[in-house]
Amino acid sequence: MKENHFKYIGRPVPRMDAPEKVTGTLKYMTDYHFEQMVWGKVLRSKYPYARIKSINTSKAESLPGVVCVLTHKDIPGFNGFGIVVPDQPVLARDVVRCTGDAVALVAAETKEIAEHAISLIEVDYERLNPVTDAEFAMSSNAPSLHENGNIHSHVIIKNGNMDTAFEEADVILENTFYSPRQMHAFIETEGGWGIQEPDGMLTIRCPGQYAYRDRLQIARALAMNPARIRVISHPIGGAFGGKDEITVQIYLALLALHSGGRPVKIHLSREESVIAGIKRHPFKVEMKTAAKKDGTLLANQVRAVADTGAYASLGGAVIALAIEHCCGPYKIPNVDLEGFCVYTNNGISGAFRGFGVNQVCAAIETHMDMIAEKLGMDPIELRKKNAYEKGERSSIGHELKTSVGTLKTLETAETCELWKNREMYKKNISEPWKKRGIGIATSFHAVGMGIGLPDYGAATIELLPDGTFKVGVGCEDIGGGNSTVYAQVAAELLNCDIEKITVIQGDTAETLDSGTVTASRSTYTGGKAIAAAVPHMIRVLTEAASAQHRVEPENILIGENEYYAMTKNGEQVSTYEKLYAYLHENRLSTKVEGHFMLPKEKEELPQSGGAPHHLYGYLTHLALVEVDTLTGETEVLRVVSIPDAGQVLNPQGLEGQAEGGAVMGIGYTLYEDVLMDGGYHQTANFTNYIIPTIRETPVIETFPVESTEETGPFGAKGIGEVVMIPIIAAIMNAIYDAAGVRIMHLPATPERIYKALKSRDVRQ
Amino acid sequence: MYASEIDMLSPRSLLECLYLLENEKASFRLLAGGTDAVVRMKEGKWQHDYWLNLKNIDELKFITIEKDEIHIGPLTTHSEIISSPLLQDHADVLVQACREVGAAQMQNMGTIGGNIGTASPAGDTIPALFALGAIIELTSITGKRQVSAEDFFVGPGKTVAFPNEIITKISFKVRGKHDIGLFQKLGPRKAQSISIVNVAISLSMKEGTKECLGGRIAFGSVGPTVLRAKKCEAMLTLGELSPDMISNISSVAWKEVMPISDIRASASYRRDMASALLERGLYRLIKRWADNERKPF
Repeated sequence: MKENHFKYIGRPVPRMDAPEKVTGTLKYMTDYHFEQMVWGKVLRSKYPYARIKSINTSKAESLPGVVCVLTHKDIPGFNGFGIVVPDQPVLARDVVRCTGDAVALVAAETKEIAEHAISLIEVDYERLNPVTDAEFAMSSNAPSLHENGNIHSHVIIKNGNMDTAFEEADVILENTFYSPRQMHAFIETEGGWGIQEPDGMLTIRCPGQYAYRDRLQIARALAMNPARIRVISHPIGGAFGGKDEITVQIYLALLALHSGGRPVKIHLSREESVIAGIKRHPFKVEMKTAAKKDGTLLANQVRAVADTGAYASLGGAVIALAIEHCCGPYKIPNVDLEGFCVYTNNGISGAFRGFGVNQVCAAIETHMDMIAEKLGMDPIELRKKNAYEKGERSSIGHELKTSVGTLKTLETAETCELWKNREMYKKNISEPWKKRGIGIATSFHAVGMGIGLPDYGAATIELLPDGTFKVGVGCEDIGGGNSTVYAQVAAELLNCDIEKITVIQGDTAETLDSGTVTASRSTYTGGKAIAAAVPHMIRVLTEAASAQHRVEPENILIGENEYYAMTKNGEQVSTYEKLYAYLHENRLSTKVEGHFMLPKEKEELPQSGGAPHHLYGYLTHLALVEVDTLTGETEVLRVVSIPDAGQVLNPQGLEGQAEGGAVMGIGYTLYEDVLMDGGYHQTANFTNYIIPTIRETPVIETFPVESTEETGPFGAKGIGEVVMIPIIAAIMNAIYDAAGVRIMHLPATPERIYKALKSRDVRQ
Repeated sequence: MYASEIDMLSPRSLLECLYLLENEKASFRLLAGGTDAVVRMKEGKWQHDYWLNLKNIDELKFITIEKDEIHIGPLTTHSEIISSPLLQDHADVLVQACREVGAAQMQNMGTIGGNIGTASPAGDTIPALFALGAIIELTSITGKRQVSAEDFFVGPGKTVAFPNEIITKISFKVRGKHDIGLFQKLGPRKAQSISIVNVAISLSMKEGTKECLGGRIAFGSVGPTVLRAKKCEAMLTLGELSPDMISNISSVAWKEVMPISDIRASASYRRDMASALLERGLYRLIKRWADNERKPF
């Protein structure tokens, strides 16, 4: 971190929410119990695919202690939800398409009574054969799960001329990659509270990633004026994309309308969360990549199929982003790329940190490693040779107008200690059957929404009687640490101590709509929105000081934590408290707003589903692994993370993101998968869903390269997702470097690695 | 019946507990550390009349040595076993197995008696008890009986204990300084996982050599109960435990196991891993023996 003249920006500021989270004193919304509360439960479908012939709730209703039993008949408005297309029923009417489908709701005096009542609801199903393979779902033999067929979306990007490209090539690689159904595995499962206030207003307290959109989805289902609904979506026990879509908000709202004004609580068990919650899309990626002898990439042909499960949620956007990113941050002149988002009866897939890029990065970065090996080239050299720079054209044919840090991250990788001493590290094995290897991979991830989706931010700043500022931003802190960044930006620009800033997030009554906490956008967007609001607050304070001391505004100076008026009698001090008192006495507003539109590309690539984006964050990962060739176990020993996040606003926060992302990437590569069989979840809970613990966490070093992004707040971009992407391929490449096997079906479990070793030994 | 309606009885002594168990009209579940019982309760699998909470029976918590025998009370927690100097000296294989049980919280709550009583084929302490040749004491109001660990388990979740009996003692012979042991576990990750395969090894070594005078090997998670690998054991004494010899012994291990396929691993992988873990374990054990002896072999 180079020297700067800022008090907070670029400084390691401890997270404001850390003490209460680390000590456990923070109460999440699902931790609360209220007097007079009732428990809500959801009846999920018994089968992955079935027609509902009838639903009989009479036995459940007559159970003592039951407050209400609701079915599709009790939905006052539209029976559906979904961020893009509302294809998921709130409560199933005639058909169920996955075991996560909700069929009925119960509210009861206790959780046990609610659970028992759920078991008393009689649903007469006619079972249908579930569609559990995405390729089969696309075929004409498969039953149509939705009105318009099983292909929810099909995106295409073409550039250059493929025919001649493969003829000119010296190296051609063609492989198929399979990726796991990763679970967000947040600490707080889906849940929350709903209550109908005495005046008829609905209050829904439920962790989410976009309170304003959740409110609109609730309003649609309830046929209710959204202004009559308050959604509080913060604090959150982790989200990672898994709380972007509606989770239980609409169920809470429906039950609250039938609970006689009593608060109703739903909190999914881990087992129900596994079944009903969204997951990362499992992909099949077929990739064919061509290069010349000198390492110049010539062509890339990709066909990716994403299993979105029973409902679309954000699946269309996920496959579009995957195809936009599937050639890596390189300039490949000829590409033929297509992606399909396909309905099946396998649960539901949706948003998840990385948003489709993880799956395709694993493919292109494995191919880069294989090309380097075939050509006898250094893998970093090969990447440097093909990486695009600002002002150049990417593989999908658009010109990069914003900062591009790929080369800097690769140069940093080349000179870092782990890479320079890699031969020494590889030799340093602890037991004869262990093999060590080092892998590298680089990737990128768009910041903000694609073309076609308005992207804006808004913030409020309010001066309070005690001389502190309340900064309101709609964007929730889902764990990334944006609240601290918001406080830093506000304190820096207002020229006050950070202790004078309170940040309010995720509450439709307290904050303005500032868009989602997704797409690595909230630091950039919220930061810019605060920066847009600050001048208004400074104007309010300056005018107040000027009126208070009867001098012209130009005689007001902004000091640290106070304002100075240059009067005839010398310098007079105005504290924030005094300024508040003046504004209050004169009935002047103490609250200002700032609004901001994210810059966008102007021309959309036809059929691409929203590409290109205007801004991207870049990152290179190195990983050192040790493979036990007796058992196939892989241990990640060291990780180097080299992000280009633009200017770093909070180095400590960046390290937190880089380390958390690396661990999540390790989990994705080596351990995590929700297994399904015939549409049923085989993985029930954390007994068999394996996420890394501290014993699987290696030494992780973070070396940011800073490429100032002129449009960002203090030159910053976004980093929340790319921190977990290239590490996947870096580990895959390191496993190959160590043991000589390429695992293209993730996760690379001990059994998969062992089998690959065994079949290789048989061949040899 | 709701789980919250199950009453809990907390006897203050073993005698009181045994007396309660004589009531044939009521069904009971013993509650030791609760690390397994609470999970079953949440799953709604157990529908019994009473929890019999053993927490207050202090007379079942002990680690003692009497003449040439070590005695462990069934309510001894995994953490207490791990931190016992006596067991570190005389039951290294058990100490290591307890270290691999779940997370620190599980080790603090879970007990050795509970691990035995649950009788999971993947239970981590059970192979170690096989390797130590442990004897399990069962007590009812009418008397006591001794059952060897190997005869104690009937199948997954099933033991020879009658409903009116409880485990009151686990005992085994004191180990000499030439007796060495090791526990190896393969799980889907290093920490907090259920074993895909585990193995406990106990060897009696001839001083100053790599020759083994006899030993026990027991595998977990590769059969309906923990299994002794008697063919491998027989081979231990055939000659010096060189890397080649270790490899030969280990290659026989797959013939001793009959694992299932489940979502954690396939049967064929488990079978191969029985050999792999034994090879890795014997190699590490002999290396430790050689390093400790500090003598050139």
